[in-house]
Amino acid sequence: MTDLEFNICVDDYSDGVYRFILKISKNKEDARDIVQTAFEKLWVNREKVETLKAKSYLFTVAYHLMIDQLRKETKIVMTDSFDENTQTVSQGSSELKQLLLQAINNLNPTQKSLILLKDYEGYSYQEIGEIMQLSESQVKVYLHRARLILKNKLTHLEKMSA
Amino acid sequence: MMINEDNYETYFMSYIDNELNAAERGAVEAFVSTDSKYAAALAVFEKTKLHTSTNEYMEMEDKIFLYRFPEMDAKLDTDFKKSLYKKEAPVRKALFTPNLMRASFAIAAMLIFFIGIQLFKKDTIIKDKTALAITNNSSTNPKQTENIILRSNALEVSVNKNNNSSAVLSSLPFNKKLNNTNNNLVKSATASQAAFEDQTIASNNTSTSIVATTEGLNQDSRENESQKNESQIRSNLMETMPNEEEKVVPVIPTTYKEIDTEKDDRTINIGMLEIDGSAFRGITRRFSALLKRNKIEKEK
Repeated sequence: MTDLEFNICVDDYSDGVYRFILKISKNKEDARDIVQTAFEKLWVNREKVETLKAKSYLFTVAYHLMIDQLRKETKIVMTDSFDENTQTVSQGSSELKQLLLQAINNLNPTQKSLILLKDYEGYSYQEIGEIMQLSESQVKVYLHRARLILKNKLTHLEKMSA
Repeated sequence: MMINEDNYETYFMSYIDNELNAAERGAVEAFVSTDSKYAAALAVFEKTKLHTSTNEYMEMEDKIFLYRFPEMDAKLDTDFKKSLYKKEAPVRKALFTPNLMRASFAIAAMLIFFIGIQLFKKDTIIKDKTALAITNNSSTNPKQTENIILRSNALEVSVNKNNNSSAVLSSLPFNKKLNNTNNNLVKSATASQAAFEDQTIASNNTSTSIVATTEGLNQDSRENESQKNESQIRSNLMETMPNEEEKVVPVIPTTYKEIDTEKDDRTINIGMLEIDGSAFRGITRRFSALLKRNKIEKEK
């Protein structure tokens, strides 16, 4: 990977990695540090990492750094609102999105990561498995379980609001 | 592929995750169209999917720090880098630190002190030797009775002179210097003892002649029995005299001197040692001054 290719990766993926980490860690400083570290690692290993796999490499490194960070801070339980803590996040004004974000906040970090990697970044089960070091079937099962939780929550919240 | 009541949720979720191929997607859409409740269920699953929009897009701040430029990895060539290295001049360590100096002074002071003691010791022995020679010279007068007591670590001599002068000499392991003194003393004592033996032999001869005379008288006549008895008694007395003298144990009187502390030039006697008081006082004063100065320096 050349300098130019690396800088293109910064342009293309840094926001995505930052968003992914910020939505889970809900701490801008932590998210910035993790993105910084992930790109540092990519730079150090630029001879080994192919340009096409740079995005996956960045997300993998960032995800594991975030998990380590969460373990250190014992912030596994996330109960705060998505929007309140991530001021840059704007999910729009629709009530449905607010309810969805509220429901996602109640998921565990693994389920949340799966949802984010799938919906925001559009990774396949296989790619998510590589990033999170899970098998494809595990990704499928965990992700479906998370969606069922979200479905039930949304149904419940919709009934409550109605 | 059969989609039915039991597995349709799994297919729906895979459908919204875009994990189905075209045929599978067609099958799902066909299944949904069979009943409105399946269409409603698919719509609920669709709601669980996060949709990114322009409003939701977040940009990372300070992204500029992530970029890399060739200048950032510029490296100096090795030769130029070597020219930048500096060597610090080795710091010389002081050979004599203050503590070492103090210790050296203390050892030197102790050495001076002990050498001084040795010198005082030597002077005292020479004085004693002179005094002993004077005493031996004065022993020619038989009536004079003198007791000289010499004590030191290596030598003890007791000369007891009575009518028949006798000397008792006892010695312990001693050095060569003292050996000379001891030899002189032995010589003088041996001379005195020889004189004593001569006198004893003379008296024995006298008693023998007396005994012979007495025996002669016994043979000639017994009239002078009383005289014989008297002479026998005398000879017995003469024979017993040397034994009595040999058994005499010399009594050494101990004398004490009162030290006059008022005198400036007083001497201090420790056993055989005579130490000049003023010199000793000077040494002790200097030593105490040195210790005091060290203490003050430490306190500072």
